[in-house]
Amino acid sequence: MSDLVPKPKPRPAPESLPYWQAAREHRLALPKCEDCQKSWFPPSRTCPHCLSTKFSFENVSGKGKIFSFVTFHRVYRPAFTADVPYVVALIELDEGPRLLSNIMGVTHDQVKCEMRVEVVFDDYDEDISIPKFKLV
Amino acid sequence: MINAITPSRELRDTCAIVGTATSKLGKVPGVSSLDLLMDAIRNALDDAGLKASDIDGVLCRGPDESYSHHQLLAERLGINARFSTTLTNGGASQIMSVALAVMAIRFGLANTIVCGFGRDTWSRTHASEEARVRNETRPESMLAREFGPEYGYFGATAAHAFGATRHMHLYGTTRDDFGEIAVAFREHALRNPDASMKKPLSIEDYHAGRLIVAPFGIYDCSLRSDAAGAVIVTSAARAKDLKKPPVLIKGFGFQNNTRGWFADDNMVVTAAKQAGEAAYAMAGLGPKDVDTAQIYDCFTYMVLTQLEDYGFCKKGEGGAFVSSGALRLGGALPCNTSGGQLSEAHCEGMLQIVEGVRQMRHLYPENRQVKDAEIALISGHGGNQVCHSTLILGRA
Repeated sequence: MSDLVPKPKPRPAPESLPYWQAAREHRLALPKCEDCQKSWFPPSRTCPHCLSTKFSFENVSGKGKIFSFVTFHRVYRPAFTADVPYVVALIELDEGPRLLSNIMGVTHDQVKCEMRVEVVFDDYDEDISIPKFKLV
Repeated sequence: MINAITPSRELRDTCAIVGTATSKLGKVPGVSSLDLLMDAIRNALDDAGLKASDIDGVLCRGPDESYSHHQLLAERLGINARFSTTLTNGGASQIMSVALAVMAIRFGLANTIVCGFGRDTWSRTHASEEARVRNETRPESMLAREFGPEYGYFGATAAHAFGATRHMHLYGTTRDDFGEIAVAFREHALRNPDASMKKPLSIEDYHAGRLIVAPFGIYDCSLRSDAAGAVIVTSAARAKDLKKPPVLIKGFGFQNNTRGWFADDNMVVTAAKQAGEAAYAMAGLGPKDVDTAQIYDCFTYMVLTQLEDYGFCKKGEGGAFVSSGALRLGGALPCNTSGGQLSEAHCEGMLQIVEGVRQMRHLYPENRQVKDAEIALISGHGGNQVCHSTLILGRA
């Protein structure tokens, strides 16, 4: 069944288009403020640290640690029937921002908060690649 | 850094809750959320010995898709309102409506205000196979655009489960601790003839329950209910002549951690901390003065962490506190004494207010009454996990 029902495809908001364009090239890039030099996520046109509007998308290391995580057992959408149980984690990148993603190839018992992770890219189709993470 | 606030004590004890009631709770097929709320309001008017024409204010929250819900409600009540609006802070709205009522009454904008909330969630999502399928196959256009659905991340269960995992990591909290909350509230529900859940729950049953989003299993999650509740607020002076013992509104406070549930330590130190501090300051009270707490229990973990944030125990000691049996009727801090959202019915915090009022009236039979209770603390939590409100009630 999960083969027939596609998983939700990200529909980039205007402000996050550069994020997804970088991901398509297998780069993780976040907005970085040219005034205070801090990065943020999710993308927006105003730096939430200093309200500057001078920023550019810059590559980040793709490395970070798990702040917290959960494992889905319930199937909320039919497209995930074959995936359960799967791990969703809140990842704190070394550059500071936190983002949600999957931890690939692990079970709940193998994961702990503070574990180190790094980004991998999962090609959804020819337009979209989704940043995911694996334990290092 | 934002300067500290000093909540005024001018509002303390100026207003009282004089009527309270619910609709039928649990599975009420064929009745809209608006009509459930009307049932609760009619019952609350009767409880107070008032007529609809005595009401000149309406504060409520509707389903997310409704527009000017208070207008729909007042129309059905057959009244014009001096002061009415619809709030949109999720489960934190219901206490905020009581607080707004106090402010409006104290400053002469209205005399007697009804506050209420109703929902038909069980009917919408579970009453039939068709309802179930419709709920689980909502079109993609209704999901978040990005940064969630593509990872299979959906729903409030997962959001709160992140907090539970983090708390377990930092403080060694266990599922046994969460389980005691579910078991204690179920035991309270068995004493409440109106509660949805009728079967006893043991800690073994809790652990045998299927996992939903680990670390949460089915018994960590609140119910999907058809339910409504209402309270009627008027001045303490007018309250003296009404049918039931008035219950004084002693304090309230608010905090919305709008930087986000995933920002800072917000999933472990919740907005209950600042909301509680403000409410305590207004009431001139502290956690030691509280005899019963009615805590927003969307998930077991949220009870544990709020109890810490409200100062009933230290941060990190919530597991030991709940596992001591403190939350049970007869315990150190009887909590969610009607069964809560985990076992009575889920009405987004409205039934917590109703139960707080009832405990302050001392009209319950002995097996449901918190003995000699003088002060009740009530919490509301919602929005995207970050909106919080606190209400402190006291016996007149």
